Amino acid sequence: MGEVIVVTSGKGGVGKTTTSANIGTGLAAEGYKVALVDTDIGLRNLDVVMGLENRIVYDLVDVTSGNCRLKQSLIRDKRFENLFLLPAAQTKDKSAVNPDQMRALCLELREEFDYTIIDCPAGIEQGFRNAIAGADRAIVVTTPEISAVRDADRIIGLLEASELNDPKLIINRIRPDMVKRGDMMDISDIIDILAVELMGIVPDDESIVISTNKGEPAVMDKASKAGEAYRRITRRIRGEDVTFMNLDVPEGFLGKFKKLLGMR
Amino acid sequence: MRTQHVALKGTREGLVLYFDPRLDFKDLVDEIKKYLTVAAPFLHGAVVRCYGEEEDYSAEQRDILAAILEQFGLQLAGWLTFADHSVAEKQLRPDAGSKKEGHWEEGITEGNCLIVERTMRSGKSISFDGHVVIMGDVNPGAEIIASGNIIVLGALRGVAHAGAAGNRKALVTAYYLNPTQLRIAEFVTRAPDEEVVWRGPETAKISDNKLVVERMIMNVNRGKSPHNQ
Repeated sequence: MGEVIVVTSGKGGVGKTTTSANIGTGLAAEGYKVALVDTDIGLRNLDVVMGLENRIVYDLVDVTSGNCRLKQSLIRDKRFENLFLLPAAQTKDKSAVNPDQMRALCLELREEFDYTIIDCPAGIEQGFRNAIAGADRAIVVTTPEISAVRDADRIIGLLEASELNDPKLIINRIRPDMVKRGDMMDISDIIDILAVELMGIVPDDESIVISTNKGEPAVMDKASKAGEAYRRITRRIRGEDVTFMNLDVPEGFLGKFKKLLGMR
Repeated sequence: MRTQHVALKGTREGLVLYFDPRLDFKDLVDEIKKYLTVAAPFLHGAVVRCYGEEEDYSAEQRDILAAILEQFGLQLAGWLTFADHSVAEKQLRPDAGSKKEGHWEEGITEGNCLIVERTMRSGKSISFDGHVVIMGDVNPGAEIIASGNIIVLGALRGVAHAGAAGNRKALVTAYYLNPTQLRIAEFVTRAPDEEVVWRGPETAKISDNKLVVERMIMNVNRGKSPHNQ
């Protein structure tokens, strides 16, 4: 029996889709059989980030409304043969699916796959209700901005109300240099408010933009810092105890010189 | 909370709506409506009793008043007679005139209490006729509305309205008092724009028609701030 994990955030643009793609790919790279499900009906993105857009024949709504079988709709990834994508429909909206249908779908996916990663849409309306309906665990993604943290807090409350307890937190797009200067919320500020367990810290990294545009998840890029962060998150999902990445900014020559002179 | 001829008071037996018996019935109805338009959001679902001193309203008039209360989401539990009320007043202030010390003695010391054993996250709202104790944090975006005191055994960062039915003796106490907005009866204040440093548990109350915040007097060396560890 596999596990169904929903990736959610409340606020849009914090990196749910990027996180889903990277976690899914990371788990597949470790040899697990993984399904990625895009529940953002009408605004689908996960297929683009995975570079699989041109292979879509059937989608989530086709499966839930019985137009096709689940197996027909799953698109095999181009890199890993044990990774599959169930894309969202683009021409419908969130009301095309209901939570009961999602529960049934997740039950079916759980039989077949070790991990099912559900990419949740932004917001707290039906799309969110659908996405969390069949999940066993939740990962909440936030960025170090007050607005994103506020929405994450609301989402955690709603998850708890739906009995998805102990969600794990990923803080995305952190800029260690800005945190050091006091211009960005630091990790302890965020944990202080949200009071949930931290699952990962992903630094802000240009390689994410590049890999997203190329349709190749950064987790495959050994040189990418964000990719390294996602590899560690992947291992934590499997239950390993992995240390957090050291995000300290290299001091550079001038910094070392100043330290020597006791200037800071 | 009151107008010239209508007042709402919290007693040990619950909320009582006072009418001025000298006022013409039609004017009274207008004033009640005006009053409830403002007060109803805090009172929604509350059970009240009415009291018009020695004035004996006819059955028809009482029906009209009950219908108005219902229209604003209030439930009429009955009418107090002059005799009932005199007894209630006496019970309410058994030690009136005795010397008062410390803010707990000045405030509301008895009444219903709701205990919430979890953190209140954004979007969560509690309104209760009585005191509310939160054993956890109240995060920004959450709100508590109570007709009595509010006590938070954690960080209060959301909105708190104590004495929401108009009781100016209500208090708001928190281990870390940093609310988005704080209201006691009809007084409203907000957090300062600059960041608040933790100074230990604090209590907000109304003193001389102003909302003031005081540090709780206790042995401050007993515990360390969780923020310095």
